[in-house]
Amino acid sequence: MVVTLWDAFIRGFHWLLVLVVTGLWLTGGNITYIDIHHKLGLVVLALLLTRIIWGFVGSESARFRTFLRGPRAMISHIRNPLKGTWLTHNPVGGWAVVLMILALLAQAITGLFTDDAIFFRGPLAHLLSNDWVRTLTSYHKQAFDWILILLAIHILANAIYSIKGKRLMGAMVTGKIESQEPVKQPKVVHGGYGFALLAFNLIWIFWWLG
Amino acid sequence: MSMKAWTIAASISVIAITGLGITANHAAASAFTTASDAVEYRQKAFSLIRENFAYMSGMVRGERDYDADAFKQRAQALYHLSYIPFEAFSGAGENVTANSDALPVIWENWSDFEAKRDTFQAAVKELVNAAASENMREIRPKFMDTARGCQQCHQGYRAD
Repeated sequence: MVVTLWDAFIRGFHWLLVLVVTGLWLTGGNITYIDIHHKLGLVVLALLLTRIIWGFVGSESARFRTFLRGPRAMISHIRNPLKGTWLTHNPVGGWAVVLMILALLAQAITGLFTDDAIFFRGPLAHLLSNDWVRTLTSYHKQAFDWILILLAIHILANAIYSIKGKRLMGAMVTGKIESQEPVKQPKVVHGGYGFALLAFNLIWIFWWLG
Repeated sequence: MSMKAWTIAASISVIAITGLGITANHAAASAFTTASDAVEYRQKAFSLIRENFAYMSGMVRGERDYDADAFKQRAQALYHLSYIPFEAFSGAGENVTANSDALPVIWENWSDFEAKRDTFQAAVKELVNAAASENMREIRPKFMDTARGCQQCHQGYRAD
């Protein structure tokens, strides 16, 4: 049977995030593109914030309490990763999602407090002492390599699942997944609500920090 | 006073004056003789550079009204300042990284550091010329060249 796994917002969020983070990677560390980097960072902030809210009010498959499982579920998944069809992130992938969200959130937030000592000053840098701004700037410069490692693991894990016949990436495009055994369709919230929330978050974030 | 006393007094004077002369000569060669003085000199010079560049940045980036005369004055100040800090990377300031953001690799790649210094100084000179045009369309690219001139050393030669 075919199940709707990911609503339109989750899919839009995911692929927009891929685009924007790629843009941030390309524009980071180069003063020529710092203004674009700043704007893209605000887009990521709005995307992540909306995703976190969606994790409480969105579709069942997207909710944190659906996919954040304890160590027992994680161990059993690692022992037999191809067993069953998860109608959400699998128990290991769920924590990977949270880790990626937190790492990107830390990156986006520290960006607001950076100062490049040339002409760019993050919109919130004036709130902190020079020492703190210096520390957060240095974190912001160095942490991205760790994010790249996380993303590489994420892509690699998905590639392996694909090779082994689990089409997780396809589900992130179409939203649908094929289940061998009969399962109950998880509750889906219309993605339009998510996009409306995203638009609202973009507006106030750009108004405040743009 | 006896002849002998005059001779001694004269000799002492000559020695003292010569000594003063030597001391004065040393003082003229460099005002800083200790590593920490050299670092302080570098940092203060960069601080002046940063402040003057920030002022122009406000005008180029539309955060402050453009005032052609003030801009020219700042560009001129930056031009002179662009030569100041670098001399304190040699002499007493050579290989000094204590209480400083300067990285040791500066002195390992000295000729590259010098080349980047020259690029920066040339960019500032172009900025001064562009400022004379009083045309923001000509100023902006030269301002960005100067910013890149700063960044080329901040990446790799300055602690994060």
